[in-house]
Amino acid sequence: MSFNKSNIIQLIIIVLITSLIGILINNLLINLIRSDMGISYNWIFQSSGFAISESTIPIKSTDSYALVLLTGWINSIKVIITGLILASLIGTLFGVCSISKNILLRFISFIYVSIARQVPLLIQLLFWYFVVLLPISRNPIHIMNSWIIISNQNISLGSINLSVEFSALVIGLSIFTGASIAEVIRGGINSVYKGQWEAYQSLGMSEFLGLRKIIFPQSLHAIIPGLTSQYLNLAKNTTLAIAIGYPDIYAISDTTITQTGRAIEGFFLLMASFLLINTILTRLMEKANSYIVNSTRFKK
Amino acid sequence: MKSKNNYKMQYGISKIKRNLGRGLFEGPTNLIITISLSTILSIIISKIYSWIVFDADWSVVKNNLTLFAFGSYPQVYIWRPLIWLLIVISISLYTIMMPSKFLNKHIVATAWLFILPVGIFLLAGGFGLEEVHTNNWGGISLTLILTISSGLLALPFGVLLALGRQSNLKVLSNFCRLYIDIVRASPLITVLFFGQLLIPLFLPQGLEVSRVIRAILAFAIFAASYMAEDIRGGIQSIPKTQIEAAEALGLNKFECLILIILPQGFRVAIPSLTNQMIGLLQNTSLMAILGLVELLGITRSLLANPNYIGGYMEAYVWIGLIYWLSCTFISALFRKLENNLSYNINKSEAK
Repeated sequence: MSFNKSNIIQLIIIVLITSLIGILINNLLINLIRSDMGISYNWIFQSSGFAISESTIPIKSTDSYALVLLTGWINSIKVIITGLILASLIGTLFGVCSISKNILLRFISFIYVSIARQVPLLIQLLFWYFVVLLPISRNPIHIMNSWIIISNQNISLGSINLSVEFSALVIGLSIFTGASIAEVIRGGINSVYKGQWEAYQSLGMSEFLGLRKIIFPQSLHAIIPGLTSQYLNLAKNTTLAIAIGYPDIYAISDTTITQTGRAIEGFFLLMASFLLINTILTRLMEKANSYIVNSTRFKK
Repeated sequence: MKSKNNYKMQYGISKIKRNLGRGLFEGPTNLIITISLSTILSIIISKIYSWIVFDADWSVVKNNLTLFAFGSYPQVYIWRPLIWLLIVISISLYTIMMPSKFLNKHIVATAWLFILPVGIFLLAGGFGLEEVHTNNWGGISLTLILTISSGLLALPFGVLLALGRQSNLKVLSNFCRLYIDIVRASPLITVLFFGQLLIPLFLPQGLEVSRVIRAILAFAIFAASYMAEDIRGGIQSIPKTQIEAAEALGLNKFECLILIILPQGFRVAIPSLTNQMIGLLQNTSLMAILGLVELLGITRSLLANPNYIGGYMEAYVWIGLIYWLSCTFISALFRKLENNLSYNINKSEAK
């Protein structure tokens, strides 16, 4: 190893960073010793003692913190998957509307995007929960031959029962993210070479068919990267569930930390679970991207 | 000349009319869409109108305007945040409304640079003014302080991160990448949670930082990693020839960075930086969950008052409107900035 200028600078950077981290950890240890805490994960198998309002796996208040946190994780995944599907549908619908020839359609999608993107997500969630869903009467309302039953306790579609908290969270998240997805899709469709439109028109294809078979497949190249980041945003934004009382991973971690006082440990678990969710989503979207890039159907 | 203009105008209007007609009424499906949509829209609009004018009870908004604007700031000193709000609004209006030709850039730039120190001086006090603790700040003035100060902190930090990530020094670039990736992967609320609960644990004993400042630090930590990626995108879009030209002129690396790379990179990054600023303003509402009484926080504590039990809809519509307006303001402001920067290029090219 030669001692040239850049190696010396790198060495100085390493020393600086490690000493900064060292000072911070030193402070942390001093503070933890002062409060008699230390760092341990023993609490994770102790009985949690708090009830969760909704869960997929059966859970009692005597179950361990590990199981409670797992429940929160599953609840988050449920919201993420439902939200992704719904937001994609809304986004595609309004994205296509925003390039329509009909001025009224364009106007409506412009208004939607403007409102949904410029009002904070948290306010939209509180709106859906406190203003729209909670004031519904306690007595269930039957719609379409009792296929949909709505009350301020839960919403049931056929045999699926959804809590009001879950519904408000999914509706709010999908409408908020849908607006950004609509913009991504509009950009993607506009990126397709203009000749392609003229080409399918001259072949006598209908507008719907041409959009579906010619334009949309080609716009996917431009859409996927933007879509990935919107999906990641949606996954991260599910943490706002705490504001309307849906027990997602963040809400449950928060309660756990308050009960046990284990802020550092709880925080690391929370971060780890989010890094995991992020990695899974990114990998899946990379797979989708490479499939689209390699497949001849979507070639430009 | 005049008749030509008239002809142009008439032609333009008739063209617009024709396009409008074609857009709304051409083809049977289009016609059906237009008719059904306009029916639905008119019903919705009339419903909204009658709600706003007749049904809504705006007392929750009318009786609490000072709370929405300043939170629980001491009544005696309320003129201080009021003056600051007026300054912010008038400077932004001046910047947006004034045509580029008459805009005195030096005055505008200095005004924007001084807006934060003046605000902190007016709100916090000191130097002759009675001191007011940050715990008493609230409402829109707190939202604005959070947004502006964390944005101004995050920007230089983001530039450093972007440059660090581009650096040839492996240790530095890997460290910056790790930082950016971890922060971008975590939800904002965990970062804010870190700021409120964990930052005190990492500080030496006896050093106390107020909640507002911890929130600003957390927002800056978060926003910097996003801005870093935007600025990196801007820097990467500059053609290599620019740097070669700078080297040929004998500029050293630092001069090349300050005079050539950053100004051009920024110009490219402005649209995405605008989105970051809008996001920052919206995200300050998350502090309501963590106990600050900014605009949303003060609304939530108002709605907990039994007098306003039915005022949810009015209150949320009202603050939604405020946020919407502020976001529109920010994007207009940045569009002006972008136009002015590109205006400069055109002028210098013309010479």
